[in-house]
Amino acid sequence: MSFQAETGILTQVDGSSQIQSQKTKIFCSVTGPIEPKARQELPTQLALEIIVRPSLGVPNTREKLIEDKLRAVFTPLITRYLYPRQLCQITLQILSSGESEQEFTQREVANSINATLLALIDAGIALNSMCAAISLAISSDDKLIMDPNDEQLKAAKSVHVLALELVESSTVVKNVLLLDSYGDFNEKQLFDILEQGEISLLKLGKEIRSIVESKIINSNLIIQK
Amino acid sequence: MTDVEETVEIQPISFPPEVFARISPELSLQRHLALGLRPSLRRFDEFRDIEINEDSLSRFNASHMMNEDSQNNILGSNVLKCGKTFVITSITGGIIEDTSTSLDEVDIGEKELLDIVEQEDSLNKYTSVYPVVEVERGRVGACTDEEMTVSQKLFDSLLHSRIIPKDSLKVQTGIRTTDENGVSQIIYPDEVNNVDGNDVDDSYKHVMPRKKWSYVLYAKIVVYSRTGPVFDMCWNSLMYALQSTRLPRAFIDERATDLKMTVRMKGRSTTIREAYDILCDPKKSLPLTLNDSNLAYASSFGIIDLDPEVALEEARKQEDKQEDVEMDKIDSILLADIDTEAEESSIYSTISLINNLKGDFKQLSIIGAGSRITPNMIRNAITLSKCRSQDLSQKIKK
Amino acid sequence: MAKEIEISNSESKFLLEALRQNYRLDGRSFSQFRDVKIAFGDEYGDVTIEMGKTKVHCRISCQITQPYEDRPFEGLFLISTENSPMAGPQFENGNNTNEDEVLIARIIEKAVRRSGALDIEGLCIVAGSKCWAVRADVHFLNCDGGFIDASCIAVMAGLLHFRKPDITVHGEQVIMHPVDEREPVPLGILHVPICVTFSFFNPMDTEENIKGDTNAEITIIDATLKEELLRDGVLTVTLNKNREVVQVSKAGGLPMDALSLMECCRKAYAITEEITDKITYVLKKDEKRRNKFADLLTSENARETS
Repeated sequence: MSFQAETGILTQVDGSSQIQSQKTKIFCSVTGPIEPKARQELPTQLALEIIVRPSLGVPNTREKLIEDKLRAVFTPLITRYLYPRQLCQITLQILSSGESEQEFTQREVANSINATLLALIDAGIALNSMCAAISLAISSDDKLIMDPNDEQLKAAKSVHVLALELVESSTVVKNVLLLDSYGDFNEKQLFDILEQGEISLLKLGKEIRSIVESKIINSNLIIQK
Repeated sequence: MTDVEETVEIQPISFPPEVFARISPELSLQRHLALGLRPSLRRFDEFRDIEINEDSLSRFNASHMMNEDSQNNILGSNVLKCGKTFVITSITGGIIEDTSTSLDEVDIGEKELLDIVEQEDSLNKYTSVYPVVEVERGRVGACTDEEMTVSQKLFDSLLHSRIIPKDSLKVQTGIRTTDENGVSQIIYPDEVNNVDGNDVDDSYKHVMPRKKWSYVLYAKIVVYSRTGPVFDMCWNSLMYALQSTRLPRAFIDERATDLKMTVRMKGRSTTIREAYDILCDPKKSLPLTLNDSNLAYASSFGIIDLDPEVALEEARKQEDKQEDVEMDKIDSILLADIDTEAEESSIYSTISLINNLKGDFKQLSIIGAGSRITPNMIRNAITLSKCRSQDLSQKIKK
Repeated sequence: MAKEIEISNSESKFLLEALRQNYRLDGRSFSQFRDVKIAFGDEYGDVTIEMGKTKVHCRISCQITQPYEDRPFEGLFLISTENSPMAGPQFENGNNTNEDEVLIARIIEKAVRRSGALDIEGLCIVAGSKCWAVRADVHFLNCDGGFIDASCIAVMAGLLHFRKPDITVHGEQVIMHPVDEREPVPLGILHVPICVTFSFFNPMDTEENIKGDTNAEITIIDATLKEELLRDGVLTVTLNKNREVVQVSKAGGLPMDALSLMECCRKAYAITEEITDKITYVLKKDEKRRNKFADLLTSENARETS
């Protein structure tokens, strides 16, 4: 899996990123820590508001489920106790889903996770560890496809999203943050996904780190000038 | 005003278990777990039993059929009781005009091309139901995030499980004819064929509508007295309800088959054919054909680290034999079928599975927001979920 | 949570004083429109507009549906402009009842939909039973003023760029051909309305503005966010290349000299012409880029595309 990403592209928010992987294109913005609404406020921790907006039509339950998955991934990742009674607003705008929206969300979920991570780093929100996510598919001839495109998703027997928590400069996997699978698959395939996914996600984690690194080097250059 | 010069003796306060569980659910849970029990008094790998009541609400249920003017429009139903929670699923339906299926019948000279396009999309041959989950909380208002995500997850899981083929929702239309004496009868070509064994079909062909229709199914799932996560129960109840679903036969009126209307507007005119209503037969119905091998049942698990300090305390109380409990070795345990507020709010790592009788998965979600999820944990969960699926599938009378 | 942007006193004084001395903070002249960048995505009808820091994305989509009963000969066209906190913290998610937001939605609606920019009769497939429903989803990504102007350009560029799948009608049956099977067809666009927004500032007091003869109010085109926050009045003129005024919208605010309306329209026309030409130019360039592939495809596959 490879993708192009850019951070710090929006001016009215604290952190932003844009990610493009094949035909999937997503913008992510992070605003926070800011003052929350009374009902969002948590007395000891940072509250998260995650908003996913589809490229076509109005947000509905499909986007709510994506938000739910993102929340599951980022709640343990953010050092939430540092910002009690504050709010972090994460907004994702999908410009192009790169998959058939009626049937799949895998590409959007995986890329949204990566985009959100970059935007959170750009916003300077404290994180406990890194994460990386990828979509996978198992084709009708039982081959594991990393980062499948729309046609491959449609032809697949099962489709998956895997997000892993990475630590120690993205060399060690700490935990499975999310594995979300649909379709027809067995136990062996499940462990295949975890093993193969781990290899690609460690690579991807390094890629994400290098994006962040080059961004920091660039902004340092600007400061020096 | 009194002097503050009094000595206050601080005594540890103790609470009855229910109050303690409410104030500090996490600690209460840990104390229970240290005893080898769960707040619900179940064992770690024990599921709640499920009682079901199939098809008792449906229109086509035998007992209802006696009653001629049954106004009920429920096509399949299930009432599921799990612990303290009740889930009531009712399946209703509608008929929509099918715009895509006409491809097969009309030769447009590009059929091969269409076949190629069709083949690539295996999921396209299956459909889902539109579920609405309602969790009763004793107040009205906009639906909660939980209701929305559970509904959507049910929809996605059902679609990807490939349980309902699109073909089984196609309407095989009948025709109502009225003879000279004004007596109406409804003829279903497929039934006539079955009786005679030869092709009577032709005589009706000219009146058969060129349009195609499909059923759409809706599932209303109401959860009463929620005590924990509800997805499993909703899914299982939906599975049972679908197996009892019967689709009404539908027909159109003979007179309506060739209706033409001229519409004039702003000086332009056009002929609008059709506008025939499709009607549902009040008595006749067909069972919904499902892809039986894909029928699957859901189970869920939580993973939690045992707090060594709590364990130590307990050990001390019991004047333990093992003197040195290793402090840095964290034990995590797998809990089946998460229930109660304490478990729901303090367990962050979960595994949720849907598997069929062969043990193949249809859906799986692993969320590791808390304890580390090891391959061994997953394996244990899989083994348990297989037994659970077997058990649940036997609940339904076939 | 929605937070009104507050602008400090010193900043606002500086900006207004600069305007009095004929300067704008970004160095533009009063009647200079920001440079418009138009970029198309991979899909048809996917367009991103950038005007300075303002960034708007528009996505056009379509599907077959039933027409309204009282309008059997017309298709459906809907523009959705919903704001999200991405554009700035002043926007709240799912709550688009804010006065400014409603105004943006209304003006775009009037400029594009009510002016008949899209030929909705051409969207009719089978009168009274089937038609195309075209949908424009406008996403505001970054807000630095000029949302109305930018989204109008985005919607129009999107509509011009969009192609709907080709269909075959057999009596009542409609067969939709996938894009990779038959060349999709463009929408019928009758004219290209372009919005130009003028902002007014009053350097004197209100009394002078209403009763006085000086008419000293300052008029600037295409205000940035800060200028929008401080302006006393606003006028949006929508024009097309045929020198037709589609819409004039001035909802209260600072009273303006009636004669200067003509002057505004004249200025707006020049900008309209420029932007329309730019859209046409970018569309042509995109067409060329796509056609490269189309040529390759047709040489491989001898099927005729009609």
